[in-house]
Amino acid sequence: MLAAALAVAGCHNSMNSVQNAQQVGQRTMISDQRVISDTGLARKVGVVGINTVTTPGGFLKVQAELLNQTGSLQTFNYRFEWFDLNGMQISDSASAAVAAEINGGESKFISAVAPTEAAKDFRLKLILGK
Amino acid sequence: MKNQIIVSLVAVSAAFITGCGTDAHYVETGGNRNIVSVGQINIQDYIQAADTMTGELLASGALGRVKNPPAILAISRIVNNTGNQIDTDLLIKKIRVALLQSGKAVTTTTFGLGGQSEDPLAKQMQQTTHPADFSLSGKIIQLNAGAGDTKQATYSFQLSLTDTQGLAVWEGEKEITKQGTRGGIGF
Repeated sequence: MLAAALAVAGCHNSMNSVQNAQQVGQRTMISDQRVISDTGLARKVGVVGINTVTTPGGFLKVQAELLNQTGSLQTFNYRFEWFDLNGMQISDSASAAVAAEINGGESKFISAVAPTEAAKDFRLKLILGK
Repeated sequence: MKNQIIVSLVAVSAAFITGCGTDAHYVETGGNRNIVSVGQINIQDYIQAADTMTGELLASGALGRVKNPPAILAISRIVNNTGNQIDTDLLIKKIRVALLQSGKAVTTTTFGLGGQSEDPLAKQMQQTTHPADFSLSGKIIQLNAGAGDTKQATYSFQLSLTDTQGLAVWEGEKEITKQGTRGGIGF
């Protein structure tokens, strides 16, 4: 009985959260285009919305809000790709898939800064971890 | 007939040794099929640390606050406080390349720690000197933990950008934690 309770408690990794009701900061949300080839992944690590800002250094910064609609911890990898005005991908020598975790029911933000001021567009790739 | 058999055997053996005896293959550097080792820093860790800290540095705007952009960067000491012998250029070079590509900073190769230049020939060829606007220093730290068969290592990548007044105008830290009982492939 105890072992079963521990097993259930161990596998179930959900989260509650609280925040100030009157949010001061206003996010500049952008419209996005989505390509979903794995609906299971979209439920485990779904994109709620994306907002952007230009940093003091003049670089595009992108922030994505993710939501895990399942009740268990999910591991995933993400990577941002950047494109210039002509739609050409900008070679980024320092770009790796980032490993991340998201608890059951958790909303989480991930962000990245463009490698050059020439980067005007982006693509976020999400891959389910092991 | 005997000769034909010998030739066939040699050919089959050669094919086995060269082609079939190995499962070596290419993988994307930094991709999610790279080997993950708990006890050492993998290439994807260097890439991730460099990517994160370069982004933070560029976003801060610190490099833009110089009289004559782009900022000139001198590389100072990068201390290795991990249990492994590592080449810190696996981190620093990626940051240098990214900063150069950003157009916000160039790195001097003729001025370095202890008066040593990274490129001695360039030092001899140098006609005008450009004093550095910033020095980049840092440290890589390893913190180990274990419970039973599970091993965990946290690698902390720390960098400081110091201006000519001796003030650290930007500091970045990226921590990467890995856990496992042995090395594996993928995250």
